[in-house]
Amino acid sequence: MSLKIMMRELKEMKDGIGNISKRGGESKLWRSRTSSHVVPDQPQESAEQSPWANLPPELLLDIIHRVEESETAWPARAAVVFCAAVCRSWREITKEIVKTPEQCGRLTFPISLKQPGHRESPIQCYIRRDRATSTYLLFYGLVPSEGEGDKLLLAARKVRRATCTDFVISLAADDFARASYTYVGKLRSNFLGTKFTVYDSQPPCDSMIPLTTHRRFHSKQVSPRLPACNYSIGTITYELNVLRTRGPRRMHCVLHSIPVSAIQEGGTAPTPLALPQSFDEQLSPLPSSKGKQPLIDTSSTSLAVTPLFSPGSGEPLTLKNKAPRWHEQLQCWCLNFKGRVTVASVKNFQLVAAVEPEHNVSPEDQEKVILQFGKIGKDIFTMDYQYPLSAFQAFAICLSSFDTKPACE
Amino acid sequence: MESTSKKVTLSSSDGRTFEVEEAVAFQSQTIKHLYETGYTGDFIPVPNVTGDILSMVLRYCEKHVDSDTAAGKESFYDNKLKRWDALFVKVDQSTLFDLILAADFMNINSLMDLTCKTVANMMKGKTTEEIRGTFNIKNDYTPEAEEMVRRENQWAFE
Repeated sequence: MSLKIMMRELKEMKDGIGNISKRGGESKLWRSRTSSHVVPDQPQESAEQSPWANLPPELLLDIIHRVEESETAWPARAAVVFCAAVCRSWREITKEIVKTPEQCGRLTFPISLKQPGHRESPIQCYIRRDRATSTYLLFYGLVPSEGEGDKLLLAARKVRRATCTDFVISLAADDFARASYTYVGKLRSNFLGTKFTVYDSQPPCDSMIPLTTHRRFHSKQVSPRLPACNYSIGTITYELNVLRTRGPRRMHCVLHSIPVSAIQEGGTAPTPLALPQSFDEQLSPLPSSKGKQPLIDTSSTSLAVTPLFSPGSGEPLTLKNKAPRWHEQLQCWCLNFKGRVTVASVKNFQLVAAVEPEHNVSPEDQEKVILQFGKIGKDIFTMDYQYPLSAFQAFAICLSSFDTKPACE
Repeated sequence: MESTSKKVTLSSSDGRTFEVEEAVAFQSQTIKHLYETGYTGDFIPVPNVTGDILSMVLRYCEKHVDSDTAAGKESFYDNKLKRWDALFVKVDQSTLFDLILAADFMNINSLMDLTCKTVANMMKGKTTEEIRGTFNIKNDYTPEAEEMVRRENQWAFE
């Protein structure tokens, strides 16, 4: 082979990694061309400008991938969120690397709280109740860990109103204003505390949007902040206990935003890609407004229930209590919480899908506990959820158990 | 190392030449591939890499050829090599950057691993501002997007 052929081959390889690695004689031109991408007013360590801003994307991808892979546990995982915040190209690459909770079983960005949980194993969280402030904090983790602070996922505050009770759900433990960007939704009860409605701050997304949608940034298109909206995404109904028999409460959850097909073989649950009021939202296709009316929540007293179910996507998913088994020795009805619940409480529950034979859901999937909630100590409760529920939906369902229900016990 | 093995000469972008064992040069998949596809000469230009960086890369390759042939998988040697690697990447940022580009161009997987991991470690435990400072990267968000990103970070801190 002649040197000419070899050089051609080398050139091909060079072109393969982009022209960025062209240094030598061309480096002057290259630097001056890229200087606009570098902060001009920052003092330089040397006369040279930082080359990192021009790292070839595939190398940056490799590097961020390594950060993502090694930081799987909070609080270290915040590093991944920080990488996504550096600049637009870093954000794009990081968002491409980070998988949804459904795929990897981990929560990374705030949006992962509204995405379905893992399919195989439950995502384990716990709730800490503060009676004095009527707040409920959802943390990531098996049980409260000593010393190191656990990752706060969501916070809720109970607000009693004249005819109902609201649980305002927020991303921050110190901000429950509905107009705030931290507002993610709420749970509202009826007067008796027997029926609850879950409201999401964003409309149910179209499940047809493929997860691999590539999002590009159009910084010019940032719209003014959207008004706070409430979309009814589900209802929780507690059965009245007219006979006053003892035993666990019976509940019924209808999730308008999740079709029952999500738990059928090959089914998928809707997965939003961005929180509302965020510029990422501009990049995902907007769901059609057909049949979806944002309830602009200006007066907190009148809220119509508008099931937002896009036609054609089938029936909504319904959850019911897993039937307890009679325990001969203890002479009581028992549920197997697999060591995650240690204190008997009327609040404890396990939910499974309520399906009809025509839904074609396998017996194993019918037995699968999608959400489990129970007491493990004074004011500490565990919450384990799975696909197709999101952390937000699971938290809202658990909060309904905290509201006192004299009619149901 | 066998002294009888074939030697090849590498030439850097600034015209410096380095004579190394073939096995050392073949740590680079790019060069190995070149020979596998029929190239028979003993002179190889490496047009994208300066002499300073090329000499470092070849030093790395020599060390790793030794480890492949000599002690192999012994853990004592492995640890020693890891310590050597750690010292090898204790360089300033622009050298590290050039090493990454060279490792990428010459396709030396283990060096790519080592250098990328070093950069990844520079990011860990840092806030966005600190990462931007470390790598001197401009914040190119619009004020609105910046605000959104700031909130996302705030949640990560909760």
